[in-house]
Amino acid sequence: MIAVLGLVIGVVVGLFVQPEVPDAVVPYLPIAVVAALDAVFGGVRAMLDGIFNDKVFIVSFLSNVVVAALIVFLGDQLGVGSQLSTGVVVVLGIRIFSNAAAIRRHVFRA
Amino acid sequence: MEEEREPAVAEQAVGKTGAEPGKSAGDEAAAKPAGKAVDAPVSEADRESDPDGSEDAAEAAEEAGGTPAAEEPAEKSDATAEPEADSAPQPTLRLTKVTEPAPVAEARAEVKVESKVEPKVGTGAAAKPEPAPAPAAEPEPVSEPEAEPQAAPEPGPTPDRNTGRRRLKAALWPPRLSRGQLVVALLLFSLGLGLAIQVRSTNDHHSQLRGARQEDLVRILDELDSRQQRLQQEKAELEQSLAKLENSSNQAKEAQEQTRKKVTELGVLAGTVKATGPGIVLTVDDPQGQVKADMLLDTLQELRAAGAEAIQINDVRVVVNTYFTDLSAGGVQIDGKKVSQPYRFTVVGNPQDLTPALNIPGGVVRTLESHQARATITQQQKVVVDALVDPKSPQYAKPASK
Repeated sequence: MIAVLGLVIGVVVGLFVQPEVPDAVVPYLPIAVVAALDAVFGGVRAMLDGIFNDKVFIVSFLSNVVVAALIVFLGDQLGVGSQLSTGVVVVLGIRIFSNAAAIRRHVFRA
Repeated sequence: MEEEREPAVAEQAVGKTGAEPGKSAGDEAAAKPAGKAVDAPVSEADRESDPDGSEDAAEAAEEAGGTPAAEEPAEKSDATAEPEADSAPQPTLRLTKVTEPAPVAEARAEVKVESKVEPKVGTGAAAKPEPAPAPAAEPEPVSEPEAEPQAAPEPGPTPDRNTGRRRLKAALWPPRLSRGQLVVALLLFSLGLGLAIQVRSTNDHHSQLRGARQEDLVRILDELDSRQQRLQQEKAELEQSLAKLENSSNQAKEAQEQTRKKVTELGVLAGTVKATGPGIVLTVDDPQGQVKADMLLDTLQELRAAGAEAIQINDVRVVVNTYFTDLSAGGVQIDGKKVSQPYRFTVVGNPQDLTPALNIPGGVVRTLESHQARATITQQQKVVVDALVDPKSPQYAKPASK
């Protein structure tokens, strides 16, 4: 519950406060957000499976974000940034979908 | 079929190694159940009965003394095995196969297990003792690679299916305040923040450029450049066409103006337009009626020669096709119109030219005076020729091409 509240508060704050993001971070923000979404979906699935673990979630969240941003950064350095970020988004999207399917099976039993 | 034969061969081999007399019994035993499972388990189970025992000795003892004893268990196991007689032979045969290369002790152990479990346990599991313990461990290695980043191996969703919603509810309510929850909330807060920022900046065009990659920026710049070029070109074309149109409209206006001017000028000459300007008024007073048409015509010619531009005699406009006629009853007709005395010429032209032209010796004025007529010339800065003629369009004459 507190976690959901945290998400909601984050969205509200982001919408109304409009904090300035440093330029260096801006290109990696979308990818980081997608990676974090993936971690969150995985966490929800784990919770429904009854194997949720705070530590695992935190580590996976942070590592997902960092690795995704790192891949994109590397891609930018190599000159294939857009392709790599597309690839990352595709992979994360597939994972999000499979996690969402598991969640759906738990919640709707279908 | 091959497999069926094999045990028999094995038996024979065993028999050979063992006592001779046992051979027949062994053969019999093998033959009776037609080389079926029953035989092999029995003999091997018996063999097993002595842990380390030398096969040969046991075999010999068994064959020699305890044939009936051996038969009994054989019968028993046969009875138990009979219900699944079809499936039983194969595994056992396989077993015998295995036993050949495998160490004897192991083979025995297997056989023992099998003979006990045979009726209920699947033959496959029994036949492969090594992988048999694996199934218990199997789920773990399988589920581990599947596990999500945060997930420990999941023990199959089936038992949890009904509890999924319950878990969800339990997780959502009542809220539990723990350190882990707080940290997770913090992470989700940052996620929401990032999400909102990204959505905002994506919708905001200016900061969209801010986060763009270099190659994207270059592409955008290129696009803008080419677009600008296109627009410039379009603008130049439009300006050109505007200039052309303005030009043509100017020209048309000019032409119209000129045409109107021409029309007026020509109208003055043709007598369809009133004319005004400096000029003279010549009045010819002829009390005795001596003035004839030819004299008026002479006067007119003189005026024209002196540069008269518009001429009116009394109320008749003098134009290119004006004609003078003498009337038999006296008086003069101009253009079929009778003009009465005094003849009054209103002439637009340069007075300084017209007056001397009339006054030259032997000129119009002298001639008129010699006919007892009186000519009076008055120079005026502004005379008005206001008589008009009806323009007649030519019936036969047409403009010829140049």
